[in-house]
Amino acid sequence: MAKAVFPSFPTREEVDFVVVGSGAAGGVMAKELSTAGHSVVLLEQGPHLKAADFHHDEWGYDHNLELTWGRSQGYPQTFRKFESDVAHEREMVCGYAHNVGGSSMHYSGNFWRFRPIDFVEASVRGPIAGTNFSDWPITYSDLEPYYTKVDWEVGVSGLQGPWDPPRTRGYPCPPMPIKGSDVLLERAAKAMGLNPYPAPVAILSQPHNGRPGCIHCGFCNGYGCEVNAKSSSLVTVIPVALATGNCELRTHCTVHRVNTNDQGRATEVVYWDADGEEQAQRARAVVLCANGSETPRLLLMSESAQHPDGLANSSGMVGKNLMFNGYSTVMGLFDEPVNAYKSVPATRVVHDFYELDPSLGFYGGGGIDGRHPSRGAPMGFALTAAPAFGTPTWGSEFKAVLAHQFSHVAAFDGHTTSLPLSTNNITLDPTVKDKFGRPAIRTTYMDHPDDIETMRWFYEKTVEMMEVAGASNIVGHYERDGQEGNVHLLGTCRMGNDPDSSVVNAMNRAHDVPNLFMCDGSSLVTSGRGQPTMTIMALAFRAGELISQAARRNEI
Amino acid sequence: MSVSRSRRSFLVDSATLAKGSFLALSLPVILSACQRSQQALEQGAGFRVFEGDEAADLTAIAARIIPTDDTPGATEAGVIYFLDTIFAEARRASQLALLREGLAALRGQLTTRGRNIHELTEAQQDQLLRDNEQTPFFATMRYLTIAGTFSLPRYGGNRDKVGYQLIGYEDRGAWSAPYGFYDADYAERGE
Repeated sequence: MAKAVFPSFPTREEVDFVVVGSGAAGGVMAKELSTAGHSVVLLEQGPHLKAADFHHDEWGYDHNLELTWGRSQGYPQTFRKFESDVAHEREMVCGYAHNVGGSSMHYSGNFWRFRPIDFVEASVRGPIAGTNFSDWPITYSDLEPYYTKVDWEVGVSGLQGPWDPPRTRGYPCPPMPIKGSDVLLERAAKAMGLNPYPAPVAILSQPHNGRPGCIHCGFCNGYGCEVNAKSSSLVTVIPVALATGNCELRTHCTVHRVNTNDQGRATEVVYWDADGEEQAQRARAVVLCANGSETPRLLLMSESAQHPDGLANSSGMVGKNLMFNGYSTVMGLFDEPVNAYKSVPATRVVHDFYELDPSLGFYGGGGIDGRHPSRGAPMGFALTAAPAFGTPTWGSEFKAVLAHQFSHVAAFDGHTTSLPLSTNNITLDPTVKDKFGRPAIRTTYMDHPDDIETMRWFYEKTVEMMEVAGASNIVGHYERDGQEGNVHLLGTCRMGNDPDSSVVNAMNRAHDVPNLFMCDGSSLVTSGRGQPTMTIMALAFRAGELISQAARRNEI
Repeated sequence: MSVSRSRRSFLVDSATLAKGSFLALSLPVILSACQRSQQALEQGAGFRVFEGDEAADLTAIAARIIPTDDTPGATEAGVIYFLDTIFAEARRASQLALLREGLAALRGQLTTRGRNIHELTEAQQDQLLRDNEQTPFFATMRYLTIAGTFSLPRYGGNRDKVGYQLIGYEDRGAWSAPYGFYDADYAERGE
């Protein structure tokens, strides 16, 4: 890698691109644009944490939100199920890590590709009344080369199965060693005539691109990787971007507006810097990669006389079609130690139910994998397991069964579809503000009845699998009354060819503003089957390449 | 009946873990001062928040939630030092007031005035707590006793990692397969 020269661009002079957000998409975008020779300012509201900053700190991360931030840190959000309700303040509704690398720093790295059906499902299945269920403006084959880029440049471990979508190149790393929880899943699945297969994960099973293989510490989900084996944008594409000398990373920058001129073009991004001083970075083009809740909020906050309903919102679709993905979880106890708290969250997946039979009478589909029910975290398990199993919750009996439960438990989780609805959305809260005075993100969300039916179906299927696996004391959960928060933030600036029903076009350019691009979870037209980040990164590789080409042709 | 701590629910669950606890809605507060508790322990300093009888009563309650028997419990984990540290945070003043109110209410139920909870027999303490199992005070004490037992030792509790020992969590930080019985068996059978 070339010796890095870290540039410092003057804010009042135009750089080629400002990228807002350094997460899964923003990191890829900064890398693609800067390696193509463009000058890039990458703005991030959080700090630049490194491997040495990460600890197995359950109290700090899970209970005090040190990585994700919430109301206690000055970032309240509000929630309501229906638009007729008044939203109430919550500690957190839309969850994401605030740091360089964004949520790719603390994710599980389940990197399922979408399948060809995901891009054309609305026309194959037919429309679903009352929803905005639509085809994508691109297909799986358009995205396949970029999925392969993610595999190799970001780093994915896995094994191509006969039923997986076609790929042009194999995985760079072999799959992770199977865990006991997934042995139980695999044996049950095979006994039921299903086809379990190694789960693809953005965690290295062996050294790749100068990073080491996983040490199987078990603290992936919700934690930063202490050895850089997890393939976040923090340790993969962002260092490449910075090494070009074309990319300036500015941390602790809180963006609150994109300014436009009379010609309807974006001119600058306005933010408060680390010292709280307001700055405005001028740029030829602006790329928002702030996530599916922050990107629409920023657009809605950037209203002007020309854009009275928010920037790039002539369709009225900014913030709408929020999709969380559904889930179900079932846990059971086994006779021998499973020790599912060790190693990566999931090593096997069952994709036989990717598309549920339409004759069931509802739309949906998903995947199933094996896990530890508390993500391996001891405190979370001690707090929740006993009440769930119905065993004593305190006293010597509580203490006596705890160790047995913690080591002998396995969970089978379902990861499922969400339908896009106009009534599920991100808006600006009319009263609650964050510590900077920005309107709080207001989430309005109620799962579609088909989404709840899908969760129920996966819940019941995994109960059956637990029984076949030989578990005792089987208990589980799905959100039968609808979810009230999530970390998957999808669909809120959807892609499409029609400017009346979508926010960005097939190259992630805003229909309304020629030099404004949005690329992150907000771009997704449909939700996939519960593992969106692989697709978010692939979209960013693709958009980055197309935007760079357009810039060279002076078409920005 | 929910133990959903899976990927997408954990953030929500953080707020609902202490259901019924008066800390539930305000608990996630950065405990920047927590590192100080470890220093306090090492220096053998006294409590910063709690007075003698208060500390002894809270210790006694924590010890009934995670008792000391043939293995260490909340007392050995140093849960009281964890509590003393987090309630020393200025922003927790109102929570501390609620905790004291809850403790006073519990003491008020004792038949002999002026007696302290820690002076009761273990059986009497258990009965008192069973009678108060549905109160926010008890939910809070259960939550914080578990938090103090299983958090990193730098927060003052989980001394000598006794919490990890009692739940069977091997604190090695790195493993290689096989991790448990079933994957070892799988390898042996060549599945």
